[in-house]
Amino acid sequence: MFNDLNGYLMLAEKIFAILGSLIYFVFALVVVKQVGTMSRNVRDKINSILISVSYLHLAASILLVFLAWTIL
Amino acid sequence: MTRSMDLDSVAPDDQIEVKNRMTVSPKIEEVEVLKETESETKKIRETVDSSEEVRDKIYGIVGHTKSPLSSLLINPHIFDFEERDSDEKIILVARPHWITNLSWILTTIVLIIAPSLLRFVPIINNLPTKFEILGIFAWYLITFAFSFEKFLSWYFDVYIITDERVIDIAFNNLLDKKFSEAKLSMIQDITSRVSGVSQTMFNFGTVYIQTAAEVSEIQFELVPNPEKIIKVLQILRENEEKRGGNK
Repeated sequence: MFNDLNGYLMLAEKIFAILGSLIYFVFALVVVKQVGTMSRNVRDKINSILISVSYLHLAASILLVFLAWTIL
Repeated sequence: MTRSMDLDSVAPDDQIEVKNRMTVSPKIEEVEVLKETESETKKIRETVDSSEEVRDKIYGIVGHTKSPLSSLLINPHIFDFEERDSDEKIILVARPHWITNLSWILTTIVLIIAPSLLRFVPIINNLPTKFEILGIFAWYLITFAFSFEKFLSWYFDVYIITDERVIDIAFNNLLDKKFSEAKLSMIQDITSRVSGVSQTMFNFGTVYIQTAAEVSEIQFELVPNPEKIIKVLQILRENEEKRGGNK
């Protein structure tokens, strides 16, 4: 019985982690879009670095979804 | 040898009739147009001279900087904004003083250290390793997103003074952009406020620009050297008044 309960708990945690990481992925997409918009509005020297960083952040969020899906 | 203008209708050996230039007198209208053009050129030259003089004065007051992360950019060559007119020149760009970033930098440092402190909490120690790995990765990602968002809000929150207007571009969060502007000729009153220990120590504060435009007030919030910004605006206003008087 405890094994079943533990299994259900693990499944619930996995679903929660995947949903959370998916929401974070959407947030990372919004960040990429918004950095692009900001860079179009105000152009300065380091804009290209900021755009690159936002894409790296997006890649990290995809890795988070992948980790939540595979290792849990 | 005088050459014909119309080579198709005149054979090479044909005599070309040339009007005596001395006898051709310019019409009165043409002379007037010439005089007008000359006076316009003179006015433009005077305006350019005076605007260069004004810019030199401003650089004398504020100084020069080349760092893109500076809170005050004078005559920036690379900086630009979407709403700029093609002939509009950016005189000064201001951002909130760098010290205003201190609170989120300290918060970020605490957030970075926090997972190592949580090791001393017994409940967290009992978590399976895979949860711990994922948790720490997510934690650092959220910490990074927090600091990146704060940096973006500071970096893209700019106050611009051009030779025509003052502009406030602000991104309050990632999904909210505010653009307000007022012509230099519309500026009625400029005041500044430096309050508190940190503002007095690091010499930064808020400049309030009252205008007769649709936006009644533009605020340059927490900008460094507010007294210098006021001086720059005064010089530009005086120059604008002179230009208005010349027209």
